[in-house]
Amino acid sequence: MNEKIRPFNLAVLVYMSQVGIVVFTLPRTLADYFGTNGWLILIPCFLLSGFNIYLISLVYKLGNGRSVFEIMEQSIPKPLLYPFYMGLTAVWMMFGCVIGKKYVLLFQMLAFPTTNPMLFKLMFDILAFMLITKGIYTISRAATMFFWITAWMYLLLLWVLPDFNWVRLTPFILQGGHNQFKGLLEVYGAFLGYEISILLFPYIDRRKKMMAAIQAGNAYLSVSYINLGLVSFGIFSSDQLKQLLYPLLDILAYIQFPFVERLENLLYGFFMFLVLMTVVMYWWGAVETAGRIVPRLKRQVLAFVLLAITYGISFLPKTIDEIDAWISFLGNITTGVAFGLPVLLITVLLIQKKGEKSGG
Amino acid sequence: MAEQHERLSLEHILHEFEDCADLTRRNFPEIGADIVYFSHTVDNLLLINQVLDPLSALQRKKELEQLLRESQFVRVTDSKTAVTGILEGGVAVFAADTVHLIDVYGPEARSVSESETESIIAGPHDAFVESATTNISLIRRRIRSSHLKVIHCSVGEISKTDVYILYIKDIANLAYVQDLQQRIERIETDAINDGGMLSQYLEDKQTSVFPQFLTTERPDVSSSKLVSGKILVLIDNSPTSISAPASFFEFFSSSDDYYERWVLGTALRLVRYVALIITLTFTALYVAVTTFHYEMIPEALLLTLAESRNRVPFPPVYEALLMEFTIELLREAGARLPTKVGQTIGIVGGIVIGQAAVQAGLTSNILIISVASSAIASFVIPNYLMSASLRVIRFGIIILAGIWGNMGLVIAIAVIVIHLCSLSSLGASYLVPVAPMRGRDWKDVFIRAPFSLLLTRPTQNRTPNPIRQKNRK
Repeated sequence: MNEKIRPFNLAVLVYMSQVGIVVFTLPRTLADYFGTNGWLILIPCFLLSGFNIYLISLVYKLGNGRSVFEIMEQSIPKPLLYPFYMGLTAVWMMFGCVIGKKYVLLFQMLAFPTTNPMLFKLMFDILAFMLITKGIYTISRAATMFFWITAWMYLLLLWVLPDFNWVRLTPFILQGGHNQFKGLLEVYGAFLGYEISILLFPYIDRRKKMMAAIQAGNAYLSVSYINLGLVSFGIFSSDQLKQLLYPLLDILAYIQFPFVERLENLLYGFFMFLVLMTVVMYWWGAVETAGRIVPRLKRQVLAFVLLAITYGISFLPKTIDEIDAWISFLGNITTGVAFGLPVLLITVLLIQKKGEKSGG
Repeated sequence: MAEQHERLSLEHILHEFEDCADLTRRNFPEIGADIVYFSHTVDNLLLINQVLDPLSALQRKKELEQLLRESQFVRVTDSKTAVTGILEGGVAVFAADTVHLIDVYGPEARSVSESETESIIAGPHDAFVESATTNISLIRRRIRSSHLKVIHCSVGEISKTDVYILYIKDIANLAYVQDLQQRIERIETDAINDGGMLSQYLEDKQTSVFPQFLTTERPDVSSSKLVSGKILVLIDNSPTSISAPASFFEFFSSSDDYYERWVLGTALRLVRYVALIITLTFTALYVAVTTFHYEMIPEALLLTLAESRNRVPFPPVYEALLMEFTIELLREAGARLPTKVGQTIGIVGGIVIGQAAVQAGLTSNILIISVASSAIASFVIPNYLMSASLRVIRFGIIILAGIWGNMGLVIAIAVIVIHLCSLSSLGASYLVPVAPMRGRDWKDVFIRAPFSLLLTRPTQNRTPNPIRQKNRK
């Protein structure tokens, strides 16, 4: 059957590939770098990511929905292109890998201090492998299922609302922060993930408003981040947030029911679905890119080899601090790719159009 | 040609059916005719009225020739057709050098009765029987339309079982009909004995644990599926019909939902989805919590739980697997035994796992509650095949929860979801209307909205005529 990704599913896919491990530390990062009412910084980040998506939609329009690989391969010679593809593959594979490793390390810290985290990582990678080898349509279906399985968790914020106090927000805006450029990069990392949608052009339904769907996914993410930011600043205040390692876990641990309490490790488990989708989308993008270099190699084999390599590398960072350093380093490169790739493609497309005009 | 003519003789047919003691042969010496048939596949009344009486009344060969010219007698020239005709309930009439077949098919069949596996409270109680023609008549009685089409195929290299594909023209998607027909024709096996078996041959992924087509014994369900644009497959000698394409969520609706008020129907559907969650996760959650996450239990409950578990010498995962296995044993034993003996199993099982196991210190009270609720919840799911699949999967979830606690539970859910996402039914997603999202269908999947809102047919069926009901009130 000629299946195409529909707008709702694309929006969900984009949202799911954006929301990930950063959500646990986001309120602290906001408070730490930007001080009082740091959550406001999410608004310019939202606008910036919206602009980046606009660049992606320009590529879609100028290229008439062609695959980005086709666009590049038409104009750029392969000896130049292949190292670029390899770079993209490496960045996306490693970024996905460290996100997965951080999730696993956090879980180990929460519930299984004596278990080797690489065992969990192996299980996590097997799940990701299962999804990647089944293709983008299955990934998109899984994203939609996981979206509904996790969507109800926002209602949990209602539980802590009685403890929300406007006073804690203070009337001051962005006071008490430091190194705001670094902070901005770090916060912007929470929005990353939408850039993979640039690879989805051949798989989406051209008749529908797909670019609006990507924007909608990003907007939904931003609204939920702003909600989370606002609620955490209103519950903890910016000074207390600076002291908390993982404010979201503290919020979750606060929830109690008559028959069950300390839900954070069960709910943390549910976050696996979100992290898994983020990682899967990066890895899917990487496998697609690597597939252009070795088109004859079966995707399953390619995915297996790439995953095995990154699994090997993921033994290197051992502590959460090390992982954080890797994440922020790779996150900065990924941000560069998120802006650079569409700009490069637009340039290539404009040159192609010019060539066509002068040729015709 | 000469060889073929020679082969189609009475001797040849008798040779073909050599050692078939159930074959009946009768001779009419006055007119030089012989008839051959299987007495158990023919309708006796028809046989007397259409064959025996007319032939006995004849005196001369010429009259026989005249009789055989009537349209119910079909001339056959090759032996294969004659053999198949006899096997399919025909009578072969051998006269001089010609052979004719007359169809008087009418085997013994169970009369239409209630379904034992899919009982409902409100609504029609009749169920399919083992005769496909009777089953088609039950459908035709409900859908009196010339648009209801029936395609005949046969499966089984040896059994040559009749299979019928039913669909409503202009409502069903013909691409699905063709696909299904091709899949049926491609089957090469000795024999297929039941609809449940046939559906496994037709599925997109035969290795999956989940049934990918909906099977039912109820004619009212089958005809409502047909009207919604699905395709129905009936196989002779089986009361099970297959409807395709199917979605995972379809297995959680029952025909009562439509016969009762919408509020009740909606409540029941929600109860079934809660049952799905309970049957899959409740015991596993118990294992996860009592093995790794004691902190999740509030203090008041913790004391009761600790007291209940203090005599149990096994880790929770063994305890849970032991009890789940016992329940499965009881269920299987109860299903195999006659109803009267089955009651004994219920009582023995109730005492053994309810009381004695706890007193003997083999298991805790709370586990019994959780295992029993999981078992009860699994029986709430209306489709037997789906509920059986879920019960099997549950063991895997319990084991994973025993190894990695809550994380194991979540990993198990992820594996199930990923597997479900990769399934399709006749090429259409198995998770419609959730993935891909079809919001319009939700009002007849997760709830049962009032009929005034159920205006369209399900999108999964890709029907050319999606409007079901025009008048909005």
